[in-house]
Amino acid sequence: MKKWLKSREMSALAAIIGLFAVLVVLNPGYFSLQTLAMIFNSAQILILLAMGATLVMLTRNIDVSVGSTVGLCAIACGVALNAGYSLPLAMLFALAVGGLAGFFNGVLVVWLRIPAIVATLGTLGLYRGGMLLWTGGKWIEGLPASLKSLSEPLILGLSPFGMLVIAILFLASWLLAKTAFGRDFYAVGDNLAAARQLGVAVNRTRFLAFTFNGLFAALAGILFASQIGFVPNQTGSGLEMKAIAACVLGGISLLGGTGTLIGAFFGAFFLTQIDTVLVLFKLPAWWNDFIAGLVLLAVLILDGRLRQALVRNQRAQKYSRFVAPVSQGKNVTPFTSKKKKEVA
Amino acid sequence: MTLRLNWEVTLLIILVAEILLFGALNPRMLDINMLLLSTSDFICIGIVALPLTLVIISGGIDISLGSTIGLCAIALGVMMQAGWPLPVALGLTLGLGMLCGLVNAALIHYTGISPLVITLGTLYLYGGAALLLSGIAGATGYEGIGGFPEAFTNFANYTLFGLPVPLVMFAVITLLFWLMTHRTRFGRHVFLMGQNSRAAVYAAMPVNGMLYGLYALVGIASAISAIILVSYFGSARSDLGRDLLMPALTAAVLGGANIYGGSGSILGTALAALLVGYLQQGLQMVGVPNQVSSALSGALLIVVVIGRSVSLHREVIRAAYRRLRGQRKLTGA
Repeated sequence: MKKWLKSREMSALAAIIGLFAVLVVLNPGYFSLQTLAMIFNSAQILILLAMGATLVMLTRNIDVSVGSTVGLCAIACGVALNAGYSLPLAMLFALAVGGLAGFFNGVLVVWLRIPAIVATLGTLGLYRGGMLLWTGGKWIEGLPASLKSLSEPLILGLSPFGMLVIAILFLASWLLAKTAFGRDFYAVGDNLAAARQLGVAVNRTRFLAFTFNGLFAALAGILFASQIGFVPNQTGSGLEMKAIAACVLGGISLLGGTGTLIGAFFGAFFLTQIDTVLVLFKLPAWWNDFIAGLVLLAVLILDGRLRQALVRNQRAQKYSRFVAPVSQGKNVTPFTSKKKKEVA
Repeated sequence: MTLRLNWEVTLLIILVAEILLFGALNPRMLDINMLLLSTSDFICIGIVALPLTLVIISGGIDISLGSTIGLCAIALGVMMQAGWPLPVALGLTLGLGMLCGLVNAALIHYTGISPLVITLGTLYLYGGAALLLSGIAGATGYEGIGGFPEAFTNFANYTLFGLPVPLVMFAVITLLFWLMTHRTRFGRHVFLMGQNSRAAVYAAMPVNGMLYGLYALVGIASAISAIILVSYFGSARSDLGRDLLMPALTAAVLGGANIYGGSGSILGTALAALLVGYLQQGLQMVGVPNQVSSALSGALLIVVVIGRSVSLHREVIRAAYRRLRGQRKLTGA
């Protein structure tokens, strides 16, 4: 029970099921796999970004530049396609741009030792500006149908891109959970000095985290171009905060070393589900952010209090053998309750 | 102390160089009236960056201030639309801003979660509340709530001793914050709190009380800039503050605040806010589109921070260079 309570993925999953139940109770017509597939389809971009953000957050960094990277890569893909290159080549080009953008973030953070939030704040503006300079502020239109067909449903309401997202999710989850390569990310974020002492390639791991984040953002950019069919010049702005919010909902700690990709997936899915449910209920769009904020804060407060209680409980158990059993509760609780423990 | 002084002087030199550079490209930039009046376009960055600097010094961060500005602006518009007297509406707007800040602080205090995460949540909450209010008031889209009395819309365009009122307000607020941060006990406590909050607790400082004070200050400053923005643009929109967060953070960081807390300078932030603002103005005047100029302020941030990082880690770089040369000598021999 305690383990179940501790795992944030489960609480995010419970929230998803709960919201789905509310939807179904109010309108039984929506009880189908189609509804879920529809939500998943509109959540894919956020899921990709949340997975990338997870890698960075696991190493105790943060990347607020992904919104601009998405825009830059969507433009890169669109420009290459309109210049007459083939689809795979254009996608490779966009991925290369995204990877480079992520790598540059890594250079700033790892080699130049700039705090991650400051460095990526700078590149947030830089990449957006690069994108606007590239296109002269114009939209990119007239993308070929071959790109758009990649996000049309194929089997079970899933598009080729949807399957790719699921495949990446499982592959990356396995890598993170089971291989030494994946555990390095956790080690670096949990305790950098200890990880170095253990022989983890600390700098390489952080570089990889930022570069993979760039690649995920590039994939999200391609997906955006494919879903919408054109690329506006403000593509992706605001997505960086949403991706981080999804990660936080899914239980990935900003202090590094905790969280799973599945959690990020659930968090992103849930955030999108709120929007979709509001649309299905025909509530005006201005409710979206308000409710998303309320839910996010509610989860955070619940989780923060729960973890504080758990820590207090563990501490009480740890010290209980040093104090007389009678006065145990009285002696321990007032002392530990003063301790302020940062949890996320 | 000497280092901080140096940094502020450096910022001043960069600022003067920047204005002269743009002046060389477009002589209109050097017109003194132009220089003073154009500050109204960006001075709100400075007004919110000052309390944000204090929060960063204390080891926290507040990314919800853009949404707070939007919420305050819309609330002001709704109250004016309902025909409430101006002083009441202004007072309530300030109160609402303070309330937003206090809610942030209360959540941080109550849950013990890092401020970045909490204010990310309230970023959506306040932004959503602003959208909700403007939606209910029937002011969707980009028009917002207009039709304010002349006396109010002229407020941001008045001049005092030849200086625009927003600039005067910025100067007064800077002075107040400078006094509070660098000349009072409270300011000292904020620095200690950022250096080591546990030590601050053991030194019997009201750490949690200070938390409320700091975030309330950010809220009030957001409300003030909301009032200035509404008065300047003549309409209240829910997205007024959306583009203010990143420049304000940039100004605080450029001004020398350590994002991990414990150091920072009010004067530096004020100068950096002017630096960022004049960069946008200057680029616009040279003919670079508005959107690209925001990108170049990102580039400015990166360049300046790299420069500071290099000067801070001079020893490491020198050692690495020496090692590299030593290796080359070995392999050469």
